[in-house]
Amino acid sequence: MVLGTQDVTPVSFWFAVLPGASVQLDDLVVVGTRKPDGAEVRFYGIVDHVRTRHEGVTFDSDVQDVVAGLLPASVSYAARVLVTRVHPENFIPPQPGDAVRHARDADLRMALSADKMGDKAFPGGLLADGQVMPINYRFVNGENGGHINISGISGVATKTSFALFLLHSIFRSGVMGASASAGRALIFNVKGEDLLFLDQPNRDVTAREADAQAQKGLPRSRYALMGLPAEPFRDVQFLAPPRPGSSGTIVAHVEQRASGVTPFLYSLREFCLRRMLPYVFVDRDASVNLGFVIGSIEERLYRLAQGADTPYLTVEDWQPDTEQLLDEDVRFDEMGGVRLSTFAQLVAYLEYKLLDANDGEGDRRWVGKQAPATLQAFIRRLRGVQKHLTPLVRGDITVTQAAQYRPDPLKAGVQTTVVDIHTLSATAQMFVVGVLLRDLFEHKERVGRQDTVFVVLDELNKYAPRDGDSPIKDVLLDIAERGRSLGIILIGAQQTASEVERRIVSNAAVRVVGRLDLAEAERPEYRFLPQSFRARAGILQPGTMLVSQPDVPNPVLVNYPFPAWATRKDEVDDLQGRAAQEVGEDWLR
Amino acid sequence: MARMRIRLDPWPVDLEGGQLTLAPFQGDLIDIETPRWAAIPARPLPQGLRRVYVVDGKRRMESRVFLEDAHGSAGMGGFGAFVVGAVSLCPHGTRPAELLDVRAQRVLAHAPDLLVNPTQLSPRDPHTGQLLYTPVATEGSDPLAPLHRLQALMLNAEQDLSHAYASSVPFDETDDTEPLTALTLQDGTLRRGGATLGGAVVGYVKTMQTQYLPPDRVGLLSGLKPGERTPILHMKSETGRSTRFTWYVRLCEAAFYQHPMSGVMRLEMYAPPEPDFLPRTVREVANLSGTLLCRLGSAPHKDPRAPQNLIPTAALEQAMTRAMGSADLITRRIRAHIAAAYGQEAVA
Repeated sequence: MVLGTQDVTPVSFWFAVLPGASVQLDDLVVVGTRKPDGAEVRFYGIVDHVRTRHEGVTFDSDVQDVVAGLLPASVSYAARVLVTRVHPENFIPPQPGDAVRHARDADLRMALSADKMGDKAFPGGLLADGQVMPINYRFVNGENGGHINISGISGVATKTSFALFLLHSIFRSGVMGASASAGRALIFNVKGEDLLFLDQPNRDVTAREADAQAQKGLPRSRYALMGLPAEPFRDVQFLAPPRPGSSGTIVAHVEQRASGVTPFLYSLREFCLRRMLPYVFVDRDASVNLGFVIGSIEERLYRLAQGADTPYLTVEDWQPDTEQLLDEDVRFDEMGGVRLSTFAQLVAYLEYKLLDANDGEGDRRWVGKQAPATLQAFIRRLRGVQKHLTPLVRGDITVTQAAQYRPDPLKAGVQTTVVDIHTLSATAQMFVVGVLLRDLFEHKERVGRQDTVFVVLDELNKYAPRDGDSPIKDVLLDIAERGRSLGIILIGAQQTASEVERRIVSNAAVRVVGRLDLAEAERPEYRFLPQSFRARAGILQPGTMLVSQPDVPNPVLVNYPFPAWATRKDEVDDLQGRAAQEVGEDWLR
Repeated sequence: MARMRIRLDPWPVDLEGGQLTLAPFQGDLIDIETPRWAAIPARPLPQGLRRVYVVDGKRRMESRVFLEDAHGSAGMGGFGAFVVGAVSLCPHGTRPAELLDVRAQRVLAHAPDLLVNPTQLSPRDPHTGQLLYTPVATEGSDPLAPLHRLQALMLNAEQDLSHAYASSVPFDETDDTEPLTALTLQDGTLRRGGATLGGAVVGYVKTMQTQYLPPDRVGLLSGLKPGERTPILHMKSETGRSTRFTWYVRLCEAAFYQHPMSGVMRLEMYAPPEPDFLPRTVREVANLSGTLLCRLGSAPHKDPRAPQNLIPTAALEQAMTRAMGSADLITRRIRAHIAAAYGQEAVA
């Protein structure tokens, strides 16, 4: 019953819990009140405070007398509700004494605005009492809003898991309708080889889910409650950078997974033709002039790469110090030229053009009017990343290889692409993320918004820091601000939203918070959390998230199931669900 | 020459009378337990005693009225409310104490010979209920008669409540079959009737307005230690109309600045008019009274009338005040009701 000793307002009120009933934080409740004309107004809300106290006693020490059975006192059990919805929209207050009930079924749908979502709702997790929390897909796919942002401290391993769970839910709940097969995901694996087993069933999932079901007293498993299959991802391709130092064969640089991982790389010509040079420089704004140099060299390289389709480049105006061995397959029109077939050679060539040619003056057309110091800075930076990019940008491959290993997240028959960049250095990671996203963005600009692509990127604060400027940040900003109209949805995650470019976080329609550092939770980026939630964000357990979406004005606490896909090699269910003995028989035969 | 001593009455000065008044007693007092006038130590609570009820009542005059009925008769009256209630507790602390029957009753006491309809004060809105006053005639037309009527109603209700709960006390030497399982503590002296009411009802008198003991016996009261009691006496009032068993217990040590009887309380139980024997139950109650009351006594920082105003009584008083509702609010609603029912608009 709504309390009469506290102010009752249309947005928040307290209610007394009758003996025998119980209510906990995050429970969704409904209360109806009647206007003087008899019409009913219903208030739906979420419990954000619960408390008990002795009523009718004055002194703290009275509790001893009450427990000793001398002093009669009643326990007042009360809870505060933050109203999430008033229907119809008459913002009158409920009256003290109005009965408050748990919101179930139809009321629950109203409380979470599921009625507005219609068939565009997909399960975003389970509420504390085992009911499904719907998320409005229209606010994810760009129709009304887009992008998902997840914050939480690391080590609790929840950000990526929740992002993957949401993807699984989007792909498999049928919310995409007929275009389900057209939805794609591009996932960057930045940590360990965790995500390289997405297509393998998890051997622990059955036991863990049975556990959770028993603990929470759910009628069915959490997957079943949400109507999702407990299955790994389908149609997954795994891309990983080639192992450095292997000049001849190109092998993916992964340790744990033996097969099914495709190496990816770019040809040297692509590097120039597709203007990837800026993505090598993460601190473009270190000096203004450096930006000009990058721009003009990018243009020079682009022109240089015109006119042929070999993976390597040929230049005629350079005599490197080391003797170049002529390959046997040298073509007639390259006679007299020098072939640039490694990234190192490209850097050497640029150094020559900018610094060494003309007795240290540099080639005037390349140098422009830049001061030597700037040019030196440019070359120094290139040299710095040379080691990291050499395996990725190569000219010593065949045309077929170049086509075969070119990363293509939109390849036919592939729904999910995992790009493993955890072995790369920070600069190379930036380069890969920047180039892939730029390509994707440009592609979507051409073809338009059909085929939604979800981009999962952890550690946004690294790629799009609040301070500073970088080409990768520009791409991410483009995606955040225009991507949703093109069908690119960013599922970004970071430890601290306060360190990410504000425009990226603020463009996310769905915001999710896992466990937060309490100091972090007080920053303005988390204003969407009511105070009581901010305090609680410090004690959230793995598997529990606070989800805020535009349809529901308050965040809702959900838990989500244990992944059905393996997240580590030792979780892979290599028996495929069969008994060990059966599998053994297969081998023996 | 002995030094002059001044010591404080422990109770707040705005209470009517202090804890100590000490008017001399004119009735009869007989030693019924023992002729030896000495302190008797408290005994532990018997396991069989599972329920102790603390009963109290409260009344309030809410508005004085002048009534004129349809036949032209007129008289004084008043809107009043009274409430009685009990706290039920287990003296062994096995269950939480609970409030019982704390319900306010409202009466419109009016001069006799008036024809009065039950007066209903209509509620202002559906959320705050209605106030229903039952008319009762007073015995005279004295201006204080409505208040007295209200007081009498309250005392009767209190008495009924006390006896409804308590175990019965056999006043026959041969009949001791009923063990003491339920005891009622009633605030104030036992007022009505006598032994015919029966029941293990103890009246506890917080103040000492009458000095029952002769001067040679008073000294024991100052010498009692907490929990100790005096022997039981049989007492007959000056008028001879009421007879009681009575004894004193000490609840706590008196502070050095307080008068030496500040922690002492007088208890009484119904007694037959002829003092021929002491019922076993009365002795049993007297024996446990020190232990029980020391446990129930409150602390001075919580209650100005500590320790005599018992912990459950204080809670009960609070609950009773709450049950009667806010006096300001009720007076206002009475006024609003009269304005609406008999105001100029209603007449026109």
